[in-house]
Amino acid sequence: MASFASTGKIDIKRQTGFGFIAVACLVALYLPILVVLVFSFNNAMSIGASWQGFSLRWYVTLMKNQGFFDSAILSIVVAVAATVMSTILGTMAALATTRVKRWRGQGATMLIITSPLIVPEIVSAVSLLAFFSFIAQAFGISFGILKIVLAHTSFCIPFAYLPIKARLEGMDVTLENAAADLYADRWKTFRYVTLPLLLPGISSGAALAFIVSFDDFTITQLIAGPGETTLPLFIWSRIRNIVTPELNAMCTVLLLVSIAFIILSFVLTKKKQD
Amino acid sequence: MSNIASSQTAKGGSVSILSVLKDFGNFRAVNDVSIEIRPNEFFTLLGPSGCGKTTLLRMLAGFEAPTDGKILLDGSDISMLPPNRRPINTVFQNYALFPHMTVAENIGFGLKMLGKSAAEISATVKEMLRLVRLEDAGNRSVTQLSGGQQQRIALARALAPKPKLLLLDEPLSALDLKLRKSMQIELKRLQQETEITFIFVTHDQEEALTMSDRIAVMNGGKVLQIGSAHDIYEHPADRFVAGFIGETNFLEGELTASAGGAGTVNLRCGVTVEALTAKSVASSGSVTIVVRPEQLEMVDPGSPQSVDATVEQIVYFGTDRHVHARLGDGTALTIRQQNRPGMREGLAEGQKIGVAIPPRVAQILKD
Repeated sequence: MASFASTGKIDIKRQTGFGFIAVACLVALYLPILVVLVFSFNNAMSIGASWQGFSLRWYVTLMKNQGFFDSAILSIVVAVAATVMSTILGTMAALATTRVKRWRGQGATMLIITSPLIVPEIVSAVSLLAFFSFIAQAFGISFGILKIVLAHTSFCIPFAYLPIKARLEGMDVTLENAAADLYADRWKTFRYVTLPLLLPGISSGAALAFIVSFDDFTITQLIAGPGETTLPLFIWSRIRNIVTPELNAMCTVLLLVSIAFIILSFVLTKKKQD
Repeated sequence: MSNIASSQTAKGGSVSILSVLKDFGNFRAVNDVSIEIRPNEFFTLLGPSGCGKTTLLRMLAGFEAPTDGKILLDGSDISMLPPNRRPINTVFQNYALFPHMTVAENIGFGLKMLGKSAAEISATVKEMLRLVRLEDAGNRSVTQLSGGQQQRIALARALAPKPKLLLLDEPLSALDLKLRKSMQIELKRLQQETEITFIFVTHDQEEALTMSDRIAVMNGGKVLQIGSAHDIYEHPADRFVAGFIGETNFLEGELTASAGGAGTVNLRCGVTVEALTAKSVASSGSVTIVVRPEQLEMVDPGSPQSVDATVEQIVYFGTDRHVHARLGDGTALTIRQQNRPGMREGLAEGQKIGVAIPPRVAQILKD
């Protein structure tokens, strides 16, 4: 109560049970991941085996696994393409919802852009599957891996859009006014003032889009054709065979990539007005 | 039209604001404003917040288009030109320096957009840094500068393209008092050295009085009076102007005769005073006169041509003191006395005094 009286705010660390709840949450969130990581170094033949000593053998096996590399490369190609497209579209959408006079349907547009965050992924997956089958039947066009790229782009847009929009909303509009006042036309204003100041938001959005695409399973599983195996699909396919700690090693690699991108996105967002 | 912006020969331009109106929905921000601003003039738009002065400035810069009326620069209509096509630069209230550029890049931005050569840009940047007395700041980041330095860089950036017109939107409001005083002198010097027409927006009457060649006092979207600092202070056109600029005493009375720019007023408090009239004042009827605190004289109670009053409060300012007194009919008056050896010692609250209004200093107001 003393801390409440002195600062006018409740000190959460002094609330009864705070420590216990915090530890319980951290354990629930990270213990399974930690188990995957630790057991990737287990010198055992199966994933359920008890600890049999430290070994890098499953990483060595993984390095020799052509299927792993092929699927990882496909995942990276798809993620890079989807990131570039969704970031460009997300930037354009963010500009159109913050740097214009209010227009009819602006609110509805923002809702539609962010809808992939709300719509259950399996619904998106089924509708994308139906969409691409319709195109294939009606026009005889089969997109190959392009359809994975297009599908990923569509659900990556909100992840790219939101940080860029937040950055634009936090940016002082008088800077753009000042550029116009100093003889910059619209394009030069964007090129020399808006874009450089927006870059942290764009990078942060792109990093999020990349990781969302790189990680995706549900949608890719439904629309991928034969031979179009991304890394999550490859890992899934391995679970149905003999499950060795090599799987843990794969997941650990995937996890490290994800963490790297999330940290990158976080650092870029933090790097604000300087 | 596009090369208006790149004209380098001209110094200050003349501006004609012709019957300009600006509506935001149902709100009329600027109501039928007409002002002629002369070349090389330091012109101030003065008024309380919401009076329309900033909207008017934004229309001059090109960020807003007038709903009706025209704005001419050196005789050509610029009302519909976008900001980047007007040879007009702005010093923004929050400076709006580009945080991702160095001081030199900020100052050179306008010239770069005009397509000037790197050599010319670098020479002008140097010249501007010297002009604002920050010669060594070129390579620094603008985020490392103090408020006063940022202010000067914002000025240098706006002056670098040598505009015909410089707009200043309350540029001193973020500075502390001492810095504000020195920047007032600095601004006046820059205006005289560059010979660019300055249009300065402020709500601070002291800033307006000390710097301006002429002032337009605005309220409720309208211009109430245009004139020199002296005109506006000594001969306010109406009650609002009189009350907004400096401290003022208002006294009610009857105008009994007027001739040759002066009239005789029988004040309700019992004295008769000869006061100055503006042209448009009626020749008789009830009027209000305005007397500045420093124009009133304190005399012994009961002296001829004076009115008795009771001292209510004495506020000491160092260089002078303000005596707040109340007349028998309840009217409050403020008298300002210079602090000099003769200043009455021993004046106490509750004391009876006499107040005299010298002839031909008070001003009769319209209405």
